[in-house]
Amino acid sequence: HQHDHQHAEAVVSTQSTGSFKNHEMDPFLLKKIPKDTVSRLEEFALYLRESKKERRSYVSVVKTVNVFRDLICTADWVTARELIKIIKCYCKYLPLSQSNETDVSNVVRRILKIIREENAGPEATNLADGISAFFKSDMKPSNLGRSDLQDNILNSIVELLVELDTSKSNIINMALEHIHSNERILTYGHSNTIRDFLLHGRRARDFEVIVCESGPSLQGHRMAAELSAGGIKTTVIADSAAFAIIHAVNKVIIGTHTIMADGALRAANGVHQLAMAAKYFSVPVIVCAALYKLSPTHLCSYDPDAFNKVIGPENMLNFSNAKLHSKVLISNPDFDYVPSDLIELFITNTGGHAPSYLYRIISELYHPDDYDLDNMCVETVDDEL
Amino acid sequence: AVVSTQSTGVDSRPDLSGVSSCERLTAAGIPCSYVYINSSTYIMKKVTKVMLAADALLANGYVLGPVGTAMMGLIANTYNKPVIVCCETYKFCERVQTDSILYNELADPDSMLKTLNAEESPVAGWRESPNTRLVNLVYDTTPPALVSIVITEIAELPCSSAPVVLRRGAVKM
Repeated sequence: HQHDHQHAEAVVSTQSTGSFKNHEMDPFLLKKIPKDTVSRLEEFALYLRESKKERRSYVSVVKTVNVFRDLICTADWVTARELIKIIKCYCKYLPLSQSNETDVSNVVRRILKIIREENAGPEATNLADGISAFFKSDMKPSNLGRSDLQDNILNSIVELLVELDTSKSNIINMALEHIHSNERILTYGHSNTIRDFLLHGRRARDFEVIVCESGPSLQGHRMAAELSAGGIKTTVIADSAAFAIIHAVNKVIIGTHTIMADGALRAANGVHQLAMAAKYFSVPVIVCAALYKLSPTHLCSYDPDAFNKVIGPENMLNFSNAKLHSKVLISNPDFDYVPSDLIELFITNTGGHAPSYLYRIISELYHPDDYDLDNMCVETVDDEL
Repeated sequence: AVVSTQSTGVDSRPDLSGVSSCERLTAAGIPCSYVYINSSTYIMKKVTKVMLAADALLANGYVLGPVGTAMMGLIANTYNKPVIVCCETYKFCERVQTDSILYNELADPDSMLKTLNAEESPVAGWRESPNTRLVNLVYDTTPPALVSIVITEIAELPCSSAPVVLRRGAVKM
């Protein structure tokens, strides 16, 4: 009578985030940040810790930018290197290692890249000088003093906020390029981006949408209600029926939680099998996602317990069936890994991209030293503190 | 000798008939785990073989089974697990069919609204809305390429032997 107890262990391990072993901020951090900012930073960490399933990633991303903008303005720093050290120290305090927080980590990486770029000034090395020059982490103190550097950084952060603001509208404006009349589109579960994408397409074209329920949370029902309220003919099917109907569908358009560095997805549970069915019948799979979901991390292990998060099975099997619950191991993973070869196209706020192109976008958006925010590798060169 | 086996039941909405299978298996002493079909890629690595039931075996080798069978066959094939279909010969059928839509049954759409938590589904009022439809397919057809073997009471056969068995039955009569 062997039960696989790995699942139980996995639940415990994903719950305990290393950075919360002590709920106190690093004393180095407390030295550098005034008291009222500290309370705001703690509030933000609490907000992330109480991660709710329905929390919109756009809202948390904007919150992140505002919190870090606050930190940049009020912390005690002179050089960019010090500022980066403060930011990475704060990141250790945040629960970023939970799977839900990839959008927050990505925005922090963008901010760090902004700081490095502003520090390097107009003669920054660009890729034309060769890949090796790009990877040199030269943090020479810039000629600008703190106030000028801070102004430049804040201006760039405002541009970042504008980009985040317009990311969804940039995506949905491409709807008419990808939906033709009398088309049948298959989508999975609920996504705000996809819903608005399809509703935007409805304004000019007449088409049908088939929504997979996405058990056991049944988010697909919510999506179907919203789409049909917007005037789109919607059909709800069970996830198991996806293979049965997919040959009659023109394309699959889905959203995702995260895009991994190689173009793979961490998406809702059940998207992998849908993508496999689409591949079998050569139906294109199109993913619409903003670039703040693009994470420079790869899948480190195929072990589902390392990549995934298992949540409670109350939606799967009624707890009143206690006899069965006590004997049977019930798994309810939250995410699904979809390999990049199953995906045809990514529609992002910067346009449409093939999965093979994402590595270039990553090199433009993030700096290699910031890829691993959890084990923050602060530069080993001496600090001028 | 007693061989200890483990089995994983993969269930699909809205029937959730996997629950009763799990109950019968645990009553027989076989340790069971239970997932929804959405998580089948999650568990497929640890599985050694996939056993599926069939409602009919069509003359061109397609397996007509409860909806979700084809999906399981596809996922098992991708992970290179053998797919075993258990089907008695009286279920062999002269009909041929290549997809799941041309001939199928629709079950009660309102059973898709059943949720295990107390909240009502957002599409509960689907009959009033002109744009919403609920489709509750009962069967789907699995292509023979996705099936490794069919176990019947007379022999273990490949899917392509379906017309041979039918002919044999006809000759006998």
